[in-house]
Amino acid sequence: METPRDDRLAEDLRALRATPRPEFAAELDERAAAGFPRRSGLPRFSLERLRAIPPRRLLIPAGGVAMLAIALVTAVVAINGTENRDLGVTASPGAAQESKPPLTFGKAVPVKPETAGAESAAAPSNGMETEASSAAGAANLNFDSSGGYTRGSAPVRNRAVERSATLVLGAAPADVADDSAEIFEVVRAHDGIVMRSSTREGEPGRAGARFALLIPSAKLGDALADLSAIDEVRSRHEATADITAPTVNVNEQLQDSNARIDSLLGQLEASETESEREAVEAELTQERRHRALLRSQLQHLQRRADYSRVLVQIETGAAEESTDSGGAWGVGDALDDAGQILAVAAAVTVVALAILGPIVLIALLAWLTHRAWVRRERRRVLS
Amino acid sequence: MEQTLIAEAKDAPRAADLAFDRLYRSSRDDVYAYVASLLRDTPAAEEVTATAFERAYRKRHRFDPERGEPRAWLFGIARNAALDELRRRGRQAELTAEPADLDNAGLDEGAVHSERRLAVSAALERLEPGERELIALKFFAGLDNREIAGVLGIGESNAGTKLHRAMTKLREACNGDA
Repeated sequence: METPRDDRLAEDLRALRATPRPEFAAELDERAAAGFPRRSGLPRFSLERLRAIPPRRLLIPAGGVAMLAIALVTAVVAINGTENRDLGVTASPGAAQESKPPLTFGKAVPVKPETAGAESAAAPSNGMETEASSAAGAANLNFDSSGGYTRGSAPVRNRAVERSATLVLGAAPADVADDSAEIFEVVRAHDGIVMRSSTREGEPGRAGARFALLIPSAKLGDALADLSAIDEVRSRHEATADITAPTVNVNEQLQDSNARIDSLLGQLEASETESEREAVEAELTQERRHRALLRSQLQHLQRRADYSRVLVQIETGAAEESTDSGGAWGVGDALDDAGQILAVAAAVTVVALAILGPIVLIALLAWLTHRAWVRRERRRVLS
Repeated sequence: MEQTLIAEAKDAPRAADLAFDRLYRSSRDDVYAYVASLLRDTPAAEEVTATAFERAYRKRHRFDPERGEPRAWLFGIARNAALDELRRRGRQAELTAEPADLDNAGLDEGAVHSERRLAVSAALERLEPGERELIALKFFAGLDNREIAGVLGIGESNAGTKLHRAMTKLREACNGDA
């Protein structure tokens, strides 16, 4: 409850209250009646305010803008890098031309740069599928379908790589025999080996042929290009497997075994008693068997690297619906297409979020920092 | 009364305009008096008052009556605008009952020449800035304790306590001058 002295103090304070000029009050009333239209001088006023800001106070917004620019540039570079890497995976002719011939263990596998281009030109676009896989992991692939270096930060020397391919050709029943003869001719021309072959005559869909081939890895690209040119390519699949690790392992074991045999031979010469000699010979025999086994394994591995397994199949009749080369477009295809579109859309969304997320976060942090700074400055003004 | 006006404002855009118009007419002079006491500069006080009403007008649809009084909301906007202006100028806020640059025509003649009121004005100068602002909100802007609490973002009882302390210090300062 206010005392008379408080009332007087309050009255004195209220008497000190400032009142607006009548002209200003009238002008403000007019603007209020007009819905407070924006003043024309406002931008100039803002520009003046901007000029009045000390340079040090521009550091924070300038830093924010710089960070935003860095984030944008990083995102653009990352996207370009991703696109370039994807191009490499799909075995673009340009990438193949720039690649160096890969090397297998102890022996180079020459791959002609123009191979990829020849294959692409020879093989129809429909139904051709080219993939690369590796037992050592896709990220460490050093060869693409054409034999060119595709992934990895740098080409890895002395790699032992096993390659394989599956090729499905479509032909009329009457052409199966001629196509089979051409396959034999291509194998011969590339110094390959026909491991197995079977040919069946009959109605469309029933007639066909199958060939299991071994093609020198160095000539695989050319051989596939020639095989693809024989008839309509319905599908083609290529794969690579890195067998460097087992090859190196077996080779080291072989060297150890040789050293062990040399040592046993020395012990045999130095043996003085019959029993001692017999024991060393038994051990020597066992070690020689072990060495023979290792040599066999090493030769087998080197053969796998030197020769590529190629399965060629000639089909007659309509292509399967699962392939893209023929068949009517049905509900299954529609679902597949929808799934692919959704997958692409999801991927694009993830990429967009990956780009926008940091930018939004930076903007949010900048906004929160600015707001906190303004509040602190307002408090400081009154302190 | 303002609660009723804002309740109308939630009904339709037109009602919001009418409610804001009433708020403007009931608060125009109070906002100016409060801002002038902060800035002590008539042109700046007029500029900031106009800016505060413009900002409030643009934000009128975002006002939530459940979060506070409309006058508290309006004076919060005016306070931020005035503090921004002070910040921009790099000047300390100095509350005074008799701003040096204010037009004498706006002041009561009796107050200017009254020795007692000069003593009150001098005593106000010796208060802390926060205390001077509390007194300005109470006696220049005519806000009650609840509205002052809404402007400053503190509790109502806290606002009452701080105001009481400020008045006590002001009274003691006046007595010291006497």
